[in-house]
Amino acid sequence: MTTATAPAYDGMSRQRIRQLLIAGLIGVVAVLWITPMVWMVSLSLSDNEALQTNTTSLVPINPTLSNFGDVFSLGLTPRWLINSVIVTLVTTIATLVLSAMAGYAIARLDFRGKRFVIPFVLAGLMVPKEAMFIPQFLMFAEVGAHNTYSALALPRIAAPLGVFIMMQFFQAIPREVEEAASIDGASRWQTFTRVLLPMSVPALTALGIFTFVLTWNDYLWPLVSATQPEMFTITTGLASLQGNFAQATALGSLMARGVVAAIPLLVLFVIFQKRLIRGIALGSGGK
Amino acid sequence: MSVDSTVGTVPRQAASTDGAGWLARHRKDVEAWGFLAPFMIVYAIFLIYPVIQALLMSVFNWDLLDPGQRTFVGLDNYARMFGAQGLTWDATHLLGWRIAGGVVLVGVAVAAARDLVARRTATILAAATVVVFGVLLGLHPGPDGAWSDAGFWGAFGNTIVFVLMSTPVIVGVSLLLALVLSGAGRVAAILRAVFFAPYVLSVAVLTLIWGFLLNPDLGLIGRALAAVGLEPISWLTDPSLAMPAIVLTTLWWTMGFNLVLFIAGLQDVDPTLYEAAALDGANAVQTFFHVTVPGIRRTIVLVTVLQVIASFQIFGQVFIMTRGGPGGATRVLIQHIYESGFREFRLGYAAALSVFLFVVMLGASAAQFRLLNEDDS
Repeated sequence: MTTATAPAYDGMSRQRIRQLLIAGLIGVVAVLWITPMVWMVSLSLSDNEALQTNTTSLVPINPTLSNFGDVFSLGLTPRWLINSVIVTLVTTIATLVLSAMAGYAIARLDFRGKRFVIPFVLAGLMVPKEAMFIPQFLMFAEVGAHNTYSALALPRIAAPLGVFIMMQFFQAIPREVEEAASIDGASRWQTFTRVLLPMSVPALTALGIFTFVLTWNDYLWPLVSATQPEMFTITTGLASLQGNFAQATALGSLMARGVVAAIPLLVLFVIFQKRLIRGIALGSGGK
Repeated sequence: MSVDSTVGTVPRQAASTDGAGWLARHRKDVEAWGFLAPFMIVYAIFLIYPVIQALLMSVFNWDLLDPGQRTFVGLDNYARMFGAQGLTWDATHLLGWRIAGGVVLVGVAVAAARDLVARRTATILAAATVVVFGVLLGLHPGPDGAWSDAGFWGAFGNTIVFVLMSTPVIVGVSLLLALVLSGAGRVAAILRAVFFAPYVLSVAVLTLIWGFLLNPDLGLIGRALAAVGLEPISWLTDPSLAMPAIVLTTLWWTMGFNLVLFIAGLQDVDPTLYEAAALDGANAVQTFFHVTVPGIRRTIVLVTVLQVIASFQIFGQVFIMTRGGPGGATRVLIQHIYESGFREFRLGYAAALSVFLFVVMLGASAAQFRLLNEDDS
């Protein structure tokens, strides 16, 4: 970013200057892009008293970890984190299991009704996930199932996208692999769990991380379904605090909650960056 | 993952002999449906049934609090959504938007003339432009009239404004960055991670950061403006700036998603085409329009349509940051559905609004399908 204004000296081609200009510009934009997150972390590590007078420092003022202590000792944030972990893990695992099984059947097995199953599943891809919360709300309300983990997880598990991704993956595996196993006397289920599933770990990881991120960050459905504060997820819980904290007397504590809500995903992102990106490419039909 | 070591030694289990004939004949079907059933059951109950339920609810007056108050009302909910008293038409209503529509029409004509879109698609787009901008936008309630649900039109209008503002900005910025960051180097990889990182934040973390960032007294943007001698701007309380601020927030949040798709698309462009262009003495702009754009045409369509679909579903950012304010300037369609259902307790009407949103998004998907399959046929 320091090269943005490099002077043109003799022998430096115009192309080289342009490359440096572009590199400098990108560098500046990248620094600006990361600044909001740095700022959140800085505020979360700052003393709440000091934030009364200065909220625009990118390095912590009177650095302290007490805001993070507050997160785990005051309020419902720990409960929300636990709720999010449970709902997200259940949703992710169930999505992987159901998608892999159904995707395998559609990709590899011949059966009665297959002609109807494929368009039936593909049709679900057209249903926008944010548009059907009214009938879904009514369905759970009629059996009194709101404010439960099942209500938070089940609508997410019914995602045809995972089936579609796994179907495409299984279609690309050569048939010989399976035939070899069945000659050896393995049943369908054994072939599936011992041969095909181990081969599909990369696709399952990508789908799993993608599902994890979307579920952790889901806002509208938890907002509609979980109305008791004890059943909020970290996303709806953190959102509920933002109105109340408008007075900004405890800005550091609030930002610490934001950091805590963001950390699981940022860690996941750093570890599985390639897989997550692969999941996005798969999940959006971009190959 | 070794494939061969895990199998082989497991003996096949003896098939049960009860009803052996039927089972033997249908063995394949039973097996396959065994694999399918868990997903199909959850899917049918929690995704397909709600769609049917939404259609059903939308023709009822369905009170959330009083289950006794469910009466069949036919299409009344839809009439309430679209209807108005004393509707009139005149040529100058929403003139700015209609001029913009005219510009779109000219753009479609130019694109068709240069073979960028197929003739049939161009015809459909042109016809839609004429109908929407020429006719529909001229309709409005006269001096004594009123929309049956002005809140719906406000929310729909704001959603359209958001889609029209956010889509070109987010697609354009992500494409530009992708062009620069698609290289193989280590620095490019780190920068890609930087630009992608905000995408993994939840909407509540996003609004936490940006709500304060945009705050004129507490935020960094206000401080930066003050540093160069400008007045801090009250982004979220100014009706004309609130939506642009939401667009900026959304750009920061979701740009990385499109960036990833564009980079994947760029990697599929045949590198020899760039070499040929360089040999022909093409400059960067010519190369971009004659090699890159045709090479990633499918990706551009895909990203644009995904962005339109995502933008139509905007909710969290505005609901948390502005609650739809100031003065309803950022109130969007999903907020209207939410409030019709849970504040006014009109579940039937909220279902009708959901069906409307569903149909609009089906239209976007159909457009995607059409544009993507154009060059295959």
